[in-house]
Amino acid sequence: FELISDEGYRFDGRKPSELRRVRCNMGVFTQADGSAYIEQGNTKVLAAIYGPHEASNNMRSRVCLDKCFINCEFSQAMFSSAERKKRSRGDRKGKDMSAHIKQTFEAAVRTQLYPRSQIDIYLQVLHSDGSLYCACVNAATLALIDAGIAMKDYVCACSASLTKETSLIDINHVEELAGCAEFSAAIMPKLDQIIYSELNGRIHQDELGQLVDAVTNGCKDIFAVIDRFEVITDNTEIAVSPRSLHS
Amino acid sequence: MEDIFKHIQPVEYYKSFLKENIRPDTRTLQQIRKTTLNVGPITTADGSALVKIGNTMVMCGVKAELTQPTAEEPKKGIIVPNLDLPALCSSKFKPGPPNTQAQVGTKFLDNLIKIANLVNSEDLCIVPDKLVWVLYCDVTCLNYDGCVIDAAVVALVAALRSVSLPSVTLNEETDTPVTNINEKTPLTINCLPVASSFSFFESEHIITDPTLSEEDITSGCLTVVSDEHENLLLVDRPGGVSITEDQLEICIQRSFKRTKEVHKLYKAVHKPSESNDQT
Repeated sequence: FELISDEGYRFDGRKPSELRRVRCNMGVFTQADGSAYIEQGNTKVLAAIYGPHEASNNMRSRVCLDKCFINCEFSQAMFSSAERKKRSRGDRKGKDMSAHIKQTFEAAVRTQLYPRSQIDIYLQVLHSDGSLYCACVNAATLALIDAGIAMKDYVCACSASLTKETSLIDINHVEELAGCAEFSAAIMPKLDQIIYSELNGRIHQDELGQLVDAVTNGCKDIFAVIDRFEVITDNTEIAVSPRSLHS
Repeated sequence: MEDIFKHIQPVEYYKSFLKENIRPDTRTLQQIRKTTLNVGPITTADGSALVKIGNTMVMCGVKAELTQPTAEEPKKGIIVPNLDLPALCSSKFKPGPPNTQAQVGTKFLDNLIKIANLVNSEDLCIVPDKLVWVLYCDVTCLNYDGCVIDAAVVALVAALRSVSLPSVTLNEETDTPVTNINEKTPLTINCLPVASSFSFFESEHIITDPTLSEEDITSGCLTVVSDEHENLLLVDRPGGVSITEDQLEICIQRSFKRTKEVHKLYKAVHKPSESNDQT
């Protein structure tokens, strides 16, 4: 079947460069130091941050004297996908995802500000409908902001696929299954830096530029959504922002 | 100042509130936190429910699969509950294999399903000795602030109640199941149990619906499960200070009262038009 109709619309009625609806909320839990919930279409992810705190007993060996280390655990609810999962965490895909998210945030968090400590990022997927890595990164960014942990910039992630020389962004589960090349990237939108990128599948070298552009634009759109959300809910931030102090 | 007192002397802090017959979260000793029930938030599951009791948040998803029955019980379907307490829900838990509390909770739910006869296991049989339904009930705690088992029971019952199973026939020639998605029958639930937990503080105060900090400072808890006809299904008392018969009686009476309140919730969400309600 075709991923894109003759009229130029995708399976779920989106245009190629259109994101799914993003809804997010911060501070959803009381137990965690920071937490966030994000919905990108039907993909629903919860993130909780614990820390910075003293390293827990089984992680003593990972303590760094000049910076903190990040511990990430990705977990997918057994009922989150069409086929029931046998294990919610610790399987190969989960380990892989945890490692990628950990590396992404090691590049973005100002780890040298928290020497000899540990920051835990826990992610729980409740409903999975494609672009899991991206939703997890976006949720973790919001949760880290909620926890008040210093970062160089927001981290926004977006995925894209290529079909008939058109790049589709924020791909859902059906589009993932179609088997086209899949490209995901996490960027820091204000610094204009790519901190993570992954390409699965075969594309021509000349097409890479187009995909990177599509993903970067997608990330910036996501940034616009979660950044606007920030301003609306966090009144204190507006009151102490440098602009209002100078004017 | 108050915050420091709370962390350094949690017991003394709590006692100063008890003197006035009130708790740090402004509840009286008998008062139960607000319970919220939302049915069907996850569409990939065959039945799902999200339950909040105060800050405690629990989600249950039911997945139905086809399997071969066990040789001992060829006409009975299988229900497999699982309670997960991930590191996400509290700093009390560390990443790794399921901790003791999660395993105890799983066993509790398993016992409850059997004792209350929640679902007739014969209803889950398609072809005896060949094909039955297995219902995986995965309960995940998202935020741990005490009384997780109470929330887990409500979530489990509400999620099972929202399950509709498609009709399945066995193709005799090829021995493969044929599913008809258009013909769905809702699962019959025989009984609507409700669990109520209590904590005992210095063996004289009974604290209803304790939060996490209350669970930590009290000595021993009691969980009573009852149904709408004031039948007791399970009384779980995992050690702690000794309690008197009168105290047990008080707890049972309070649990009956709570069961009635939660039943209003069960009734309200079961109408197909509404899916949210609060008490």
